[in-house]
Amino acid sequence: MQKQKLTIADEVLEKIRSDRIAMRPRWHFIGGSILLIAGIAGSFTVSVFLVSLIVFSLRTHGPMGAVRWEQLVSTFPWWAIPVAVFGIYGGIALLKRYDFSYRKNFGTIILAVAVSVILSGYLINATGIDAWWAGRGPFDTLYRRYDGSGQGGGHGRGYMRGR
Amino acid sequence: MTVSVGLSDEKIVENTRTGNKELFAVLVRRHQDALVRYARYLVHDEHKAHDVVQESFIKAYMNLNGFDTRKKFSSWIYRIVHNEAMNMVKKYRKEYPLVDAQELVSGEDLLGDLGRKETVRMVHTCLNDLPILYREPLVLFYLEEKSYEEISDIVRIPMGTVATRVNRARGMMKIVCKNKN
Repeated sequence: MQKQKLTIADEVLEKIRSDRIAMRPRWHFIGGSILLIAGIAGSFTVSVFLVSLIVFSLRTHGPMGAVRWEQLVSTFPWWAIPVAVFGIYGGIALLKRYDFSYRKNFGTIILAVAVSVILSGYLINATGIDAWWAGRGPFDTLYRRYDGSGQGGGHGRGYMRGR
Repeated sequence: MTVSVGLSDEKIVENTRTGNKELFAVLVRRHQDALVRYARYLVHDEHKAHDVVQESFIKAYMNLNGFDTRKKFSSWIYRIVHNEAMNMVKKYRKEYPLVDAQELVSGEDLLGDLGRKETVRMVHTCLNDLPILYREPLVLFYLEEKSYEEISDIVRIPMGTVATRVNRARGMMKIVCKNKN
């Protein structure tokens, strides 16, 4: 036992002295945390925006709702979903392994994020914020694709493709 | 190195980070005995336990900048050893069943039946016959004297689950010991 006691400490120390092992720099961990937070914040923002967009689109279509829904589905950026899921899971997997600050109930967190995204999207729509920003800057083009005014007016997918 | 005797683990981590790399050996010497004993209960083999602990200290050193010094270093290093031991258990899955038929024991409250001393004696005698799922919290609680909160940190399960597993493990151990005798 005594021999092994010496061996563990000595072997680790020998590896440190010979630079066979080195500490990962601090920025590695800070950067990982920042990326994860940015990824979550970005996913949240995009999700809220998309939920609000869907509600906005459905509200403004009236009897042509089914057609507009098909258009929405065909233009929805589906690639963003696996990217968001993979990014968040990857970030958590990278950082949580030896870090107690990530000892959380991830199931509850994911559920809470999903509920808050849907709720935020609904509130944005209910308070009319989406209608306000729909006529401004880059949102103008985007919202026109979903509010029905793009149909026949060159603002559908063809409009975007032609730009 | 003698200056480090009175320093806390977390202070030593801070000093190691800021350049005194050799101070890390103090941490290794402080914890290696308990960790090898803990790993041995998980992997059932002295040499494998030794490898697990050594590899864990190497990983701890490499990730030292990711350690939050407001937390306990001992819980962190136990967590790393747990991960390494579980990797080894998965590697030799057939040798280490995670759960077996004994899991079907009733979840009745057995805490009142046994005193701590008696339980510790039983743990030493019958522990290796329990599945890892229950053996680990039992070892941490009775032999390593960790709190439920620390066990929860190390094994990454809620405190309520820790309590349930410790309680069930005691019930299972009673049966195992009875059969042994």
